[in-house]
Order: sequence, then C-alpha cells, then structure tokens
Amino acid sequence: MDEVATKIIEILKKHMKEPRDDISLQTALTDLKIESLDLAMIVFDIEDTFGIEIPYNANEDVEDFKTVGSVVDRVKSLMAEGPAAAKA
Amino acid sequence: MAKPNGARRVVVTGMGVVSPIGTTVDEFWAGMRASKSGVGPIEGFPPEDLKVLIAAQIKGWDHRSRLRHFQRDKIIMHADRYSWFAAAAADEAVKMAGLNVPFDEPYRAACIIGSGAGGLVTFEKAYRDLFIENKRATHPLTLLRIIGSSAAAHVGIEFGIRGPTFATCSACSTATHAIGVGRDYIQHGMVDVAVVGASESVINYGTMKAWQALHVLSPEGIFPFSKKRNGTVLGEGAGILVLEELEHAKARGARILCELAGYGMTSDAKDMVNPGIEGPREAMRLALDEAGVPGTEIQYLNAHGTATAINDENETNAIKELYGKHAYKLAISSTKSMHGHPLGAGGGLEAVACIKAMQENWVPPTIGLDDPDPKCDLDYVPNVGRDLQVTYTMSNSFAFGGLNTSLVFGPAPA
Repeated sequence: MDEVATKIIEILKKHMKEPRDDISLQTALTDLKIESLDLAMIVFDIEDTFGIEIPYNANEDVEDFKTVGSVVDRVKSLMAEGPAAAKA
Repeated sequence: MAKPNGARRVVVTGMGVVSPIGTTVDEFWAGMRASKSGVGPIEGFPPEDLKVLIAAQIKGWDHRSRLRHFQRDKIIMHADRYSWFAAAAADEAVKMAGLNVPFDEPYRAACIIGSGAGGLVTFEKAYRDLFIENKRATHPLTLLRIIGSSAAAHVGIEFGIRGPTFATCSACSTATHAIGVGRDYIQHGMVDVAVVGASESVINYGTMKAWQALHVLSPEGIFPFSKKRNGTVLGEGAGILVLEELEHAKARGARILCELAGYGMTSDAKDMVNPGIEGPREAMRLALDEAGVPGTEIQYLNAHGTATAINDENETNAIKELYGKHAYKLAISSTKSMHGHPLGAGGGLEAVACIKAMQENWVPPTIGLDDPDPKCDLDYVPNVGRDLQVTYTMSNSFAFGGLNTSLVFGPAPA
C-alpha cells in the first residue's frame, strides 16, 4: 500500500471505537461502523493532512466513500488537481 | 397526598454539582464547611492585556475519567466543557436518585438543562482558527459543541430521557428557570421525573474582555454585602437536580431529600443592568405564596448576592420589603463568595446548597465579610457557617435584564 493509503487508514483507525488491523483497500466503510458524524471528522482530518478540500455533503450517498480504496482514489485525484481545483 | 388545591407535589430525589470548590456534592459541601474560596489567578489561556486576572475556575478536573463509564452518548468526550460539567452533575444526581438507566418510562421524563451562553470557549477557538490562524474550516463538531441545548441533549441521550428536552436561557436565572419549568411539568402531570438545572463554562479571553468592558468584575475578589465589594468574579460549573412527583418517588422507595414547595418568577421590564426591588420582591412573594408558608417559616435564604454594588443593596431591600421584621432573623448567605458567579449555573449550585443546609441543619457562610456595607444590615452569616435548624429555605436568582426567579424548598412531605 502506498503512503496516501497508509495515512488514510491511520486516520480511519483514529476515529474508530475499536480500531482493526485488517483494513484493506477493498474494505467497505460501512463495515468499519463509521457513522455520519465520524465521517465528518474523518473528512476534516484527511483535508488537513493532504491540504485538499473534499466536496462532501452528509445528506448524499457518495460513491467516493464506499470503500477505503475509493476514498484513496478520490484523495489522489484531488491532490493531482491541486489546491485551486479543489476549491471549485 | 396532593396539595389542598389538588396539585401534584414535587420532591427532590437527587442532586449533583461540579464547582470550583468541589466537583461532587460532598466535596462542594465540605468546601462550604471549610469557608473555601474557589477564586484564583486565571489559568488555561494567555491573559494578554486583561486587567481582571482572577476567576473561580474548576482546576485539575479530568472529564475523561469522570465520564468514562458513559455508554449511550458516544461523543460526550468530544463535547464542550459546559456539556461535560452538565453530564457529570446529572450523573451524580441520577445515581443519588437511584433511577434505572436508561429511564424506565422515558416519555414520562423531562431533561431541562440550561446554559447562559452555551459553548463560548468552543466559539472563541473556532473564530481564532478562522480569523487569526487562517484555517480553512472549523472543527466538524464546532456547531454541536456551541449550541446552548447540547448539554440537555447529551444528558438526555446518556440517560434515555425522551420527554421534553431543551435548555433554558436567562443569564443568571437560567438554572432556576429550568428547575421551575421542570417542576411545572411534573405538577401539571406532563411528566413524573425531571432532570433540571444548568451548566456554564465561558471563562476565556473574549468573555473576560466582554465582562471587563461592562465594568462589573472585581480585580480583587468577590465580597458580597461587604463595604469593600467592587464587582463579581466569574465562575463555572453545573448544578443539577432530579425532581420527581411525590407518589412516584414513594412508589419506588426513593429517598426524598426535600420538597420543591414554591417557585416564583417575575421580570422588572425596566433596565438591562440595574436590578429593581419590586421585581425580586414579587418573585420571592410568589414562591412563598405557592409554598403556602409565611415568611417567618424560612430560616435560610441563599441570596443572589453577586457582590456588585447595586445587586446586594437592592436584594437586601427587597428581602426587607417582603419579610419585614423577620428579615433580621433570617440567616442569609451568598455562597458566590466561595464558588464565584457561575452565571447560568448559579441557581443550580445554590439549590444544592439550600438542600444540604436542610439536610445537615447547618447554613453556609458569606466569606470575605469582615466589614459589612451599612446599607446591607442583615445577617449574612459572615465568614463561617453555623448550626441552625433549617426546615424551609429560599434560593434567589436575579439576572441581567431584570429576570427574577425564586425557589422555596421545604421538608419531605409525610
């Protein structure tokens, strides 16, 4: 696993009541018992860590937040777009 | 038995406190027995250019260990400090009442926990982050921490209370209004149990600056009724009661601490900062009338006693107008001299002081009172508390805006 994925998994574990060590890119976020409020804090931490802004609305089911891998992909694409694009 | 007018009677079966002179009821009372002062140099943030450098803060209190056993409220550890105080005080009160958690009849219970200002410390941090640190966002829980109803919501979640749940907000009368409203809900049959009171934690740079600008804080200390008094001292904490309908408490074999016999509320409708005499007097009169006892039955009165020049003089005059000659026989104290002025939470802490006075037949003192103001010529129990047979007590809370509240506590009904 690359550095982005490792960091994201660390952030996920930080916000889990009972952190697990078997989290892979295929793990669904729903399996981690992450609730909407946890997700808001996770998004905040990821944004801070990578200096990006993730367009995220707690009212919508977002494809990007289905699995750990999809979060990693979204973060990588936002990082590639750069800070200017992330603001749009 | 209901009251002669058929009203359901309301008793107190639990109480809890977090204060600068003790973070449980026992410690709080021991602090009063020792004439302890909770006032000290401000800690926790850089005082920068503040001129007033003292406050009554709760120091060395670990919310993590105090709230570790919380089960249903998953984010209590992420809440504002004012919600921690409320949660800890409510936990003590509910345990003392011996109620099952979650509550057995959740829709027959109310949770009314007010706050004068909500999560102001969180507010300041968020604005510093945005405006000074140029952060791109506030912490995601900022809003939930700030809202003035979050303490009531946190407590309701943890204890499984599903009836009326909200906060009161009336500056220094907040807790007393909450206690009164909870009492009314029980009396009118809406609920059988109510967790009531208030919590406050606002001591930060911005709050100190705002109070300083109003010129009502003392840079030296809080000396109610004294000639040298020159303002109040900000405090923090929570005071929570469990109120219960008399027959409900009896049926489950609860230990009844006292009856909440009377409640009065008025508004001066006159001035934001200068309290009247008539409004406070009428609030006290309404509370006495409802308790159905003459003023001569009250032995101890816990005064609002903020140590501002005008409050202490006007409160003294209001007491004299209502009680007449008995005013000079009353034992009166301002326990704010010890725990500081915890703003909205004041009436909660002071209700606990009244109930303890009845339990132990001992009245707490007004400390720092060596040289009384000649205009304040009643018995304020100077400096050390004393033994006194206490059957009925009154607790006053008078707020900015002229919002007056008064409670009367009496013996547990036979």
